Amino acid sequence: MHRITLILALISSSPAFANDLVPASTPVNVARSDLQVSPDRDWNKLDARPGRNSETWTLDGELLNDVSFYGGTENNRTLFREVDRRNRPLPRFTSTMLPTDIPTLLENSYRIARDVSIFTLDSQEPIRFAGNPGIRFTYSFIGRDNLHRSGEAHAAIIDGRLYMATFEAPSIHYFANGIAAFRHIAASAHIARPARRR
Amino acid sequence: MIRRSRLLAVLVFISSVFIVALPSLTHAQERTAVRQGFSFPNDGSARILVFRPDVTVGAQSTGGLFEPRADWTEQARGHIGTALDQALPTLNAQIVRIQEPIGSDAQLLRDYSALFGAVSQSIINYQFFVGNRLETKKRDNRENVFEWTLGEGVRTLPGADQADYALFITTEDHYGSTGRKLLQIFAAAAVGVGVTSGLHAGYAGLVDLQTGNLVWINADFAMGGDVREADGAVRRVSQLLEDFPGTLPISGERGGAAQ
Repeated sequence: MHRITLILALISSSPAFANDLVPASTPVNVARSDLQVSPDRDWNKLDARPGRNSETWTLDGELLNDVSFYGGTENNRTLFREVDRRNRPLPRFTSTMLPTDIPTLLENSYRIARDVSIFTLDSQEPIRFAGNPGIRFTYSFIGRDNLHRSGEAHAAIIDGRLYMATFEAPSIHYFANGIAAFRHIAASAHIARPARRR
Repeated sequence: MIRRSRLLAVLVFISSVFIVALPSLTHAQERTAVRQGFSFPNDGSARILVFRPDVTVGAQSTGGLFEPRADWTEQARGHIGTALDQALPTLNAQIVRIQEPIGSDAQLLRDYSALFGAVSQSIINYQFFVGNRLETKKRDNRENVFEWTLGEGVRTLPGADQADYALFITTEDHYGSTGRKLLQIFAAAAVGVGVTSGLHAGYAGLVDLQTGNLVWINADFAMGGDVREADGAVRRVSQLLEDFPGTLPISGERGGAAQ
């Protein structure tokens, strides 16, 4: 009888959605990691995570402005969940990668996980991210919805793990409208504790 | 054994209840909104630029993958175009049509049409679906503020200099294959899991051509009417233009057409 009650409860419960507020000017750890940032305006943290150590923030919905954090992706791990491991396995991050390998890792991951047909790396330059030598790169792509999107990523490999923040938005209006807020977030990034995992 | 069959019977009953109940829950959701402070000119003077609807039709495989069908899309495009031509005179406005743009203008229109689709989906997911509203927009939502935009760049759209508003229409239909429908029934009856079959999304939006703001929208992931048939397309267009702010009463005067 208990079994039936449990099944009834599971079936009748409505789907749980929870988008959390990320308040401005408050340091917050992201992507279940020691990567900490302080936004200069309020954001929404979406419940759905693109991958194991990742997290997405948005202002108007992930289709219109998407800030994603990858918090310490470990050696031999993928950025996203596998969609078809047997036929189209996702590329894996390796600790021996150089910062200049990161754009290709992101591109090849997008082609599989997000069905991106056209992806262009527009620029790349060395920067410091989270207090470590890293890379800033810009890119554009067209996904399943035929919408041109622009993106900017700030990333670094710290103690053999990948830390990255990306911002993506439709090239029309939304990218220009949100890029300054993203750059503020990226500039505030730092490792809050020594990079050590439990 | 008796316990198992009882359990199965309970599951089948619950599943059938859910299959019947789900469509009504979907329709209970809000699907129209008007920007705060917007009032449509009631003297028929508003000029509305109407673009060719963005129509996509295909099949949904058993696994849920979308397979575009060029023949269905072509049929639907024709039927929706005809239905829209019949419906436009009921709008209390001057309708502006332009020649089908080519080259960079055509690309610009495709880009804005895709953006309109993304904005519409965001409105359904985060404004119309009350349980999923974004924290930063909750106060706006409580006060009935509807603020979504395509940006001021709409001024560069072909024909924008001849009109006050642009009407964007997008439909996307995924018709569930026989395999998908069987999977839906099996999953509901045997496991009690809800598997959707098909998608019939439709968005119609009126955009201010000076600001890019959406002043009215009607959007839903569960529209009616089989767009592959003439009657179905008439029903779909009628649903898309439902609650349009400048619709004439049946006996009212009709706005002229500007070319």
